[in-house]
Amino acid sequence: MSKRIIIRTTLVAVLILIGIFLYTIGKEHKVLIDNKDISVGNVICSASTTYVVRVDDQEIGVIKKGERNVAMVTGTSHKIVVEEIKGNVLTGEKHEKRFKLKTSESATINIPAMINNANEWIDKTN
Amino acid sequence: MIKKSLTKTMNPGVRFLINYAVPIIFVILVAFAIPLSGLSGLYFIRELMLRLSRNSFLILSLLIPVMAGMGMNFGIVLGAMAGELGLVFIMDWRIIGMPGLLLAILISTPIAVLLGYFAGIILNRAKGREMVTGFMLAFFMNGIYQLFVLYGMGNIIPISNSSILLPRGYGIRNSISLLGIRQVLDKLIPLKVGDILIPVATLLVVAALCIFIVWFRKTKLGQDMRTVGQDNEVARVSGINVEKTRILSIVISTVLACYGQILFLQNIGTMNTYQSHEQVGVFAIAALLVGGASVAKANIPNVFIGVILFHTMFVVSPRAGKALMGQAQLGEYFRVFVSYGVIAFSLALYAWRKRVEKENERKKIMNYRKSILAK
Repeated sequence: MSKRIIIRTTLVAVLILIGIFLYTIGKEHKVLIDNKDISVGNVICSASTTYVVRVDDQEIGVIKKGERNVAMVTGTSHKIVVEEIKGNVLTGEKHEKRFKLKTSESATINIPAMINNANEWIDKTN
Repeated sequence: MIKKSLTKTMNPGVRFLINYAVPIIFVILVAFAIPLSGLSGLYFIRELMLRLSRNSFLILSLLIPVMAGMGMNFGIVLGAMAGELGLVFIMDWRIIGMPGLLLAILISTPIAVLLGYFAGIILNRAKGREMVTGFMLAFFMNGIYQLFVLYGMGNIIPISNSSILLPRGYGIRNSISLLGIRQVLDKLIPLKVGDILIPVATLLVVAALCIFIVWFRKTKLGQDMRTVGQDNEVARVSGINVEKTRILSIVISTVLACYGQILFLQNIGTMNTYQSHEQVGVFAIAALLVGGASVAKANIPNVFIGVILFHTMFVVSPRAGKALMGQAQLGEYFRVFVSYGVIAFSLALYAWRKRVEKENERKKIMNYRKSILAK
């Protein structure tokens, strides 16, 4: 194989890799955030209060009991922070979780399950 | 009968007027239109800054074919189509932000190279008639593009994002929102002077392209292109592969136009799938000609003078039209008329100058022969 072909093939391979990298870090995912009752096995995690939700340091808003909100995130690694509100005042009780999404995945996060550290706090779908 | 070439007249004033007829007419028009429009200085500067960052890259992409003697490359429309295809793909895959913009560039580059190569081959077969061939080529490729986007996408190429797909299940919608990448480059380095947002990153990219063009002129390939631009036969005798050099100039121009269109559309934030590219060539060429360029000679200052003058006209003409005749629509018609008019006028001026110069050369030779025979 001539040197020219090797260089060109390498260049094409590098460009494809850069393309895959850009695709992975730029891919937008939909994350639904529920503040609703959920049954985990025999246990019911019930939604009892309102939360302020932040995903990747971006404020999504206030989610009241029984409500759902949506966050659009990019990339693979993410962080969700929920902070409890009682009587329109932040109680200071914060819960934080990290999660990863594959390029084709979207997710539904349940806040009561997340707070109770249940395994079912996140449901990933393709 | 013309006794002397007017471009080489002894009177420098007349020479200046002939060489810069188009920019002079435009300066006069703009000088009349600005006060009539009644626009505030702040609004005017903000609009001009926006248009300078939005259009400069596209117009700069025209410089290299002029260097290679191929005139104004109406084929930049092909590059614009390639850029739009890249944008369609990233919108389908939902890639947003700066990675989305870069991925669109990455996807569209090979398409632009292929289209540029194809255009280069065609233009080599139409030597001396490159501009009209490029113009027709753009129409031809527009048909292929429409066929591909309207029937191929969703049918042959799977499209998963239903928001960009026509309700029938194939074909891309007439208008696509580029919200995910809107002004992502313009706002990368945020700088506000008063109420005016300066798109620092975009201007840096434009500056980098200017530096590239200056550097490129000094390279072996750049020198070859200038030689080809001056005389094909001399270049061939000097050992330059004329055809290959001409193709390369068109490929570079098409690729740059592709990037220019992506930058243009990221600034606007919406893409008119079937029409965004159609006027790209005409408006970019008109702006360059307004800047004082000719079919045979164009440089970087021409680009910026052209953008400022041409787009000043774009900004003020609807308001001036309304003030003069009570209808903003007249201003719109006026600016379209001016765009085509400028191109026609420049081409006519160039053809006239060429003819006069040829005539003078012929006379010079005849006089020389006569003097030899008389001796």
